[in-house]
Parts: sequence; C-alpha cells; structure tokens
Amino acid sequence: MKNRKIVVTGGKGGTGKSTIAILIAFKALNQGKKVLLVDLDIECPNDYLILGINKLTNPSSNTYCYYPEIDPKKCKKCGLCISSCSSNALFKSKDSIPKLHKTLCSSCGVCWEICPHNAIKKVKEKNGEIYINKLSDNFTLATGRIIPGIRETSPVVTQTKKYLESYYKNFDLVIFDTAAGTHCNVIKALEGNQRAIAVTEPTPLGKHDLNIILKVLKVLNIPSHIVINQFDIGDINLIKEISKNNHSPIIGELPYNKKLAKIYSNGRFFENKNLSKLLNLNLVI
Amino acid sequence: MNKRITIASGKGGVGKSMISSMISILFSKDNNVVAIDCDVDAPNLALWLGIDTSNKNLADKTKFISTTKKPQIDKSKCNNCGKCVQKCNFDALEKGKSYPKLISYRCEGCQLCKIVCPNNAIKMVSVKNCLLSIFQTDYNFSVIQGQIQPGEAESGEAVTEIRKYANSISRKDSIFIQDAAAGIGCPVIASIVNSNYVIIVAEPSKSSFSDMNRIIRVINQFEIPYGIVINKYGLNNNISNEIIKQSKNNFLGKVSYDQEIIKSIVNMTPIFETNLKAKKEIKDIFKKVNDLIFNDK
Repeated sequence: MKNRKIVVTGGKGGTGKSTIAILIAFKALNQGKKVLLVDLDIECPNDYLILGINKLTNPSSNTYCYYPEIDPKKCKKCGLCISSCSSNALFKSKDSIPKLHKTLCSSCGVCWEICPHNAIKKVKEKNGEIYINKLSDNFTLATGRIIPGIRETSPVVTQTKKYLESYYKNFDLVIFDTAAGTHCNVIKALEGNQRAIAVTEPTPLGKHDLNIILKVLKVLNIPSHIVINQFDIGDINLIKEISKNNHSPIIGELPYNKKLAKIYSNGRFFENKNLSKLLNLNLVI
Repeated sequence: MNKRITIASGKGGVGKSMISSMISILFSKDNNVVAIDCDVDAPNLALWLGIDTSNKNLADKTKFISTTKKPQIDKSKCNNCGKCVQKCNFDALEKGKSYPKLISYRCEGCQLCKIVCPNNAIKMVSVKNCLLSIFQTDYNFSVIQGQIQPGEAESGEAVTEIRKYANSISRKDSIFIQDAAAGIGCPVIASIVNSNYVIIVAEPSKSSFSDMNRIIRVINQFEIPYGIVINKYGLNNNISNEIIKQSKNNFLGKVSYDQEIIKSIVNMTPIFETNLKAKKEIKDIFKKVNDLIFNDK
C-alpha cells in the first residue's frame, strides 16, 4: 500500500521519540521502502543531528506569521487594541502609540480587526524554515524549525505539513516525529494521522506522561500504540497498566544499549542502519 | 526580596525535574521555597520529590482553573454567514449545516470570532481547562503543578496562572524554583519571563547541545543571567568538553551519568535521600547558584 503515515509522539521528553522514529524508518528502508521522515519538533528539531547532518542550510521554504503594525498617524491611542489582546502583547506607552511585545503575540488578528480607526495593518514576518535533506535515494528527511524567540510555534508545524503534502505521494511511508508535551504544536503534528506510536520509558514519569498523551490521542480519535524504550531498566508493569486502561497495545520494545546511546550522542545513526534490529516491533509498516 | 530561578533545557528528558527537585530541597534549608512545575503538559517534579501525584488524596488542594475562554454560539442569532469561520487564524471553527462547529483543541480563545460576528451571536465563556494541585513535600515546602486537560491548548497561559497562584501563597522572601517544560516556545517563555536566573540543563549529545544554544537565544532576549549544568556526564566526553569550553564562566558543574538515578525514580526515592554521587554533585552546583543569587547586588 502506498503512502502510509504514522506519527511518533510520547508526552514526556527524552523518552526516545526521535530514536524510535529513525529506527522505524531504517526498518522500512531495509525492506526496500521509500521513507520520508518529517521532524515536527519545530522548537528543537534534532533528527538531522542524529542522522549526521551538522547544520541545516538552504531552506526549501519559509514559514510566516503576521504581526500588527500601528500607523502613528491614524492611531488615536484609544487603547481598544490593548484591552482586547488576550495575549497581553500590546502595551500602553506614555504619550505614544501602543507597543508590541512580539514574543507574546499569537498573531490572532484581534487588534487589526477591532481597531476603530483602521490604524493597524498586519505585516507578514518569517517565523521559521523548512528544510529537506535527501539522505539517500530512498530516504528523505524534512525538518520544520522555528526562529528562537517566537511564542506561537504551532503555525510552523501546520505550514511545514502543508508544504510537504505534495511530497507524500512519492514515498511508501511517511513518519512524523513530534515534540515533547501535549500542547498546540504537538496536537497540530498529530492531527490528520490514522496511527500513532507513543514512546515511553518504564518509570513513574513515563507512566504519568504516557497516560496523558494517550488521552490526547483519544480526543483526536487517533488509534494509539505503545513502544517502550529502555524496557529492561525499569518496571515494565507500570506501562502495562496504562496500556490496559487505555486499550493501547504495546507493540515494541527497545532495550537499553550503551553503544546506541553513544551513537545517538555523536549523531552517527545513519551509518548504523543495523541498529534497527535492536528494536523489536510488532507493526506492519 | 523574592527570587525566581527557572530550570530549562530545550531538549526533553535531560534531567530538569531531577535537578529542580534537588535544588528546591537544598534551598529550603535556609529559605522559604515554593516549587512550581511549569510543565503543564506533563508535570513530573512532584514525582521526583517522592509524591505519588496519581493519588489526588495526597494533594493539599486541587481545583480546576480556567486559563482560556471559548466561543459559544447563540443558534437563534447565528445566520451561518461564515465570517467567523473565514477569519479564525487557528482554523478552530468549521462551517456547519446551520451554524459553525467549534474544534475545541484548536481554539486559542482570542475572541476574534466574537469581534467579527455581525450578528452578535458569539459570546466567550470560561473553560476550566487546567487542574491545579498543591502538594506538601517532606521538606517543609510545597510544590504547585498544573495539568492541562487532554486536548486543551493554552499551556503558556496555564503557566502564567499557576505562577500567579504560587505568588498568592508565597512570602516576601520566598524563592521560587520553576521547572520548565521542554522546548523553547510559549510555555517555556511564560516560565522564563521575570526570572532572576535560569539554570540550563544539557546532556552531552549533539541534540542537547544544539537545543541548549536555542534556549540561550531565547533567554538572551530577556537579558536574564544563566548557568549551565551538564547532566549524564560521562556519556560523551568530547561533547561535554565542547559545552564546557563554550560556556566559559557560565558553567555551573556536572552530574555524572548513573543508572542508579533511574532506579531511584522507579522506587520513588528522591535523590536527596540516596547516597548517589549525583547528590553531592548537585549540592556543589547549588552552592554556586546560591552565591550568585544572593551576591547579586
């Protein structure tokens, strides 16, 4: 079947989302499939580093957001934009037009819609970049990345996914790798997928955060599966309990492996595709 | 004077909560401490302090708070003109048969829909989207956490709200220890704002080093002093050395890689109650931070 999609997430940070996403990609590559890996951890994308690319250069495209720009000639300093801004991004400043604190602005558009004097226009500004790296004939990595200091990061996820839509048909498998957490940019990355893998670790922390992300996946109506990373150095029963309560099967296990950790830290995954044998995965990809 | 110390990292799983828990305990010896778990997506700080947060009976107090408002459409006034659907910058409203449908998890509560509605058919109503809990630790201080309800957004606003709550139970001389979420976006920015100092935790991997430099760029925008801790020291000495070299005077210290740390969390034993090397190493880091915080003018 052409063009299958899967999203790898987890809730907790550092459980091995990127590692598992890459090992699944390797498994598919070893089966002769064409794979697109999309790194949607747009605040801190790391897949490129793990795969041995030292620096992202020459973006294929940019992502944008809008900020308000206030015309000092038209502004009557009525303060309506300030009081209507739910992000508190506009400030009153003495005897002058409202000041914008960009890091707080969510680009919602309330100020330019509400201004009774038509003094605010929206100005387009770059907030992120999309990179495409062809690692081999069958393996392509796409990365969305925000410019540090941007508050509203989820539009970068949405725009990265949209930009890549025309690429999907060229691949047998598309794997999305999300950020940690459950907030808006994770939700945007999860949306539209029919299968999700939640990566966890067998600790009370892993258990706690896994439970949350499985609940989020339920709200989004995406069937979830669990992969346990470092399954041999904790208490696997913690995860079994959550798996049972959420009707989410455990479909994979990766043991702790010092060599793997070292290869990860040095970004040497790509030349070690056999590592995928370490991942015991019960999933048709 | 209040002091506010935030622990951040960019990359997740590098040890923020573990170090936050130790720093909180160590500060509490001579100070009034309020520990705040600013990771409202996946709060883990209380677990590192030995508290089983799944047992809500252990909480001193829990309450649902509202950090956002969502549109409610008055069907008798709505003529399904579609203006709200078209204007919403978050695609949170979908055209329906007789009135628009709200996709709740996309809504950011900005009220643009209400403003643009020509029929005055939309009102904004508060949604209780975050469960705030306060736990008393065994160390004479409280830890406050928020838990965003599954599928709700607005993590940044939730951080701001739990910080406000922490202020309400603090003293004039309290030290706030804030454990931030992974990433460098809105909830992390909401944590860093108005901090006196940021402890950045990194592990010796290319990924973490890169994320460390991304969080530094954010912290610099707020002109807040910071220091760097390497956790899991020993995993990769080359990268550790690079981090130390780059950090110069901002380097605070290291915490050695030790699988026993994982075992202690599995047993819900705070690092402070162990005799692990990490305990002593974090004490040394604490001393430096303590000096920096109190000698600062």
